Amino acid sequence: MRQFWNLAKLTIWISLILALTGCWDKKELDQKAYVIGIGLDPHEQEGKIKVTYLIANPEVGSQQTGGGTQEAPQEIITLIADDFITSRNTANTVISKEISYDLLRLIMVSESLAKKPDFIRWIYSAAKDREIKRSTELLVTKESAQKFISNNKPKLETRPHKFFEFMIGRGKETGLIPDTDLNDFFRIAETDSDLFLAIYATTEKENGNHNLSDDNFMAGEIHIEGQTNDAQFIGSAVFKEGIMIGKITGEETRISSLLDPTLYLQDFKTTFQDPFNERYRLSVRFSKIRNNVYKFKQQSGRTIIDIKVPLFIEILTDPSMINYAKNKKKVDELKESMTVKIEENLNKFIKKTQEELKGDTFHLSIPVRREFGTLKEFRDYDWMKSYPDAEINVSVDIRFGEFGRQTKLPEMREVRD
Amino acid sequence: MKQNKGKIGIKEYIAIIALTIGTKLSDDTPSIIYEDARNAGWISVLLIGAMAFIPILLLIKVFSAHKDKNLHEVFIYLFGKILGNLISILILIIGVAALTVDSGIYVDIIGTMYFTTTPSLIIYGVLMIVCAYGAKRGIEQIGSVSWLLLPYLKITLFVALFFSLKEGHTGFIFPLWGESRLEVVKAAGKNVSIFVDFLLIGLIAPLVSSFKDYKKGTLIGLGMVTAEISLATAAFVMLFDYTTAEMLSYPFHETIRYIQIGFLANVETLFFPFWLVATFIRFSFYLYLSAVMLGGILKIKEFEYLIPLITLIVIFLGIAPDSPSILLYTMRQTILMILSPAFMFLPPLMWLIAKIRGDFKNETVLESS
Repeated sequence: MRQFWNLAKLTIWISLILALTGCWDKKELDQKAYVIGIGLDPHEQEGKIKVTYLIANPEVGSQQTGGGTQEAPQEIITLIADDFITSRNTANTVISKEISYDLLRLIMVSESLAKKPDFIRWIYSAAKDREIKRSTELLVTKESAQKFISNNKPKLETRPHKFFEFMIGRGKETGLIPDTDLNDFFRIAETDSDLFLAIYATTEKENGNHNLSDDNFMAGEIHIEGQTNDAQFIGSAVFKEGIMIGKITGEETRISSLLDPTLYLQDFKTTFQDPFNERYRLSVRFSKIRNNVYKFKQQSGRTIIDIKVPLFIEILTDPSMINYAKNKKKVDELKESMTVKIEENLNKFIKKTQEELKGDTFHLSIPVRREFGTLKEFRDYDWMKSYPDAEINVSVDIRFGEFGRQTKLPEMREVRD
Repeated sequence: MKQNKGKIGIKEYIAIIALTIGTKLSDDTPSIIYEDARNAGWISVLLIGAMAFIPILLLIKVFSAHKDKNLHEVFIYLFGKILGNLISILILIIGVAALTVDSGIYVDIIGTMYFTTTPSLIIYGVLMIVCAYGAKRGIEQIGSVSWLLLPYLKITLFVALFFSLKEGHTGFIFPLWGESRLEVVKAAGKNVSIFVDFLLIGLIAPLVSSFKDYKKGTLIGLGMVTAEISLATAAFVMLFDYTTAEMLSYPFHETIRYIQIGFLANVETLFFPFWLVATFIRFSFYLYLSAVMLGGILKIKEFEYLIPLITLIVIFLGIAPDSPSILLYTMRQTILMILSPAFMFLPPLMWLIAKIRGDFKNETVLESS
């Protein structure tokens, strides 16, 4: 009897241990094809979309195999499907492994699809799918997503997952592309009080107008020579209620981030008109390490918002050879002229959002919400409608950090003597 | 320390409360609260805690006069044999229904979020068999396992909440009063029964080493789980904003899929096992409670042998529904709504009868003599 019990116990234990492996969901790494990016394009036929898969080869560049594989780092396929959920099985007619979205990093959408009112229907599949994470990036391409993926050939970082991770991560640090993801897209579309910014990129080069200042570019407008990748990531696509309504340049994206209460900024390098010699431009590094201060008032039906933006600025160059270290008065003058210039730029951008886009791109609804007791009052106030008529006053509070590695420069006259 | 056989100390008791009720923040309880209270869900939870304080206090008062009786025996004593048994049977039916719905939801979470191709019968079977084994080991074992694992489970939970607070924006909890003040109160009133477990835990009241420990443990436990669930509901809103948080079926699981810890991107696999262990303990305890109740009603001394029976009933009822994620959600809402008034009125009623019968007088006489 005792032996029988022991045997019964053993059987139960073994069956429980076998259950732990999760047999049905067990998948070896090499049985899966990892999709890093999905490209979505419109298709002529109603209700269909073109889905492009960018599939990474996990063998390339991994330490275990010593990086010694002859296979290509990535594989690209395009197919026409009803949505990007069922297309996984259709893709298996050419791909031998199971398509997995576990490592999906970005969804690329062509501008023409993003501008369709139906776009939101397609993209909401991402919220329903079990493998797609809400932290996936959303990227809008100028050309078709299919073309963007096939033209994007990074020279040094050939592994696609690493390339996009670094490219987008660094772009967010420099502020030339917006710091948003799919979760923000859904959130902003559902709350319906701000505008959403998606990353804008292209591989198509545009000719002409190379004489603009440093960052006032859209993707494709920057003239870069040499042998490198064609893809440029700069600027943002603006979405209102889930439909793309316009785009803003890299500089405007940075301004939007400066005004945004949810973001801190680290490393913005840009140039300013040198106040002491108008032939030159001054290089500076911006950071916003403290929170903006927002003041909200309602006066006779009109909304007035005062925004105070604290900035920490480091002056990196001194082309007019002013020698700031010895010249307190010039530092004050510089501060004065920069404050005026920055405020002017911020005001220009706010005006653009009020008149052209008719909505704010920088989460201004969040400080506004604070002023209301209940959601009902806030909804009746209707921020999206009130914003274009609101009066927004921006003031900038600049604090200078260092003036380059060495603060002193020789006198121009002495050098040329 | 007293080493009474079959009894648990205050540590184990608090750990059981923290794991069984605290785990509710990780299922669809937050979504149910958000439905009325919107972004002020955290205030609703605090209100629920305050509201639940009254019946729990009265319950403790009743138990103070009946220190060696469990909930069922107190029912029999206060309401008489027929009515007492009837109330016990009703509570047992609702309890098993709640256990079925809850376990169904947990199986749905595991099935939709993690093991997508495994049939739900297998998930259900494995989950419940493990829980039945845990329940069979008795309250002492459940208690010590809870106490042993409590730090790990709570530390991982707070790491998850910390990172979601870090990635979220505090601005989203405004406007402070959600939809309106009335809605916040309504959400609290409708869902006060998320703490109905405190009533059921009365079944093990005599098993806590002393009455003082039971009283202290219950109150500390109540404070702990209120704070914990309130913090979690606020954290989910800060991460997703109210419109999205309301739409998510299981906000906790979306959170652990969304957050990044430093350079680690797919961290849900780190949190999932800990959550699973908490789930095992939770359902083991519920199975144990149901068995105690059924044993009490049927006058079965060795009630542990009822556990396999209840487990099977739960499994078969649990896998029956069609489109479980929708049906179970509405059923859970209904159960919470039915239980709320019951939870608010039963303990005061018990207290009133005890008062009329003069139970408390005896106690004071005993104490003074």
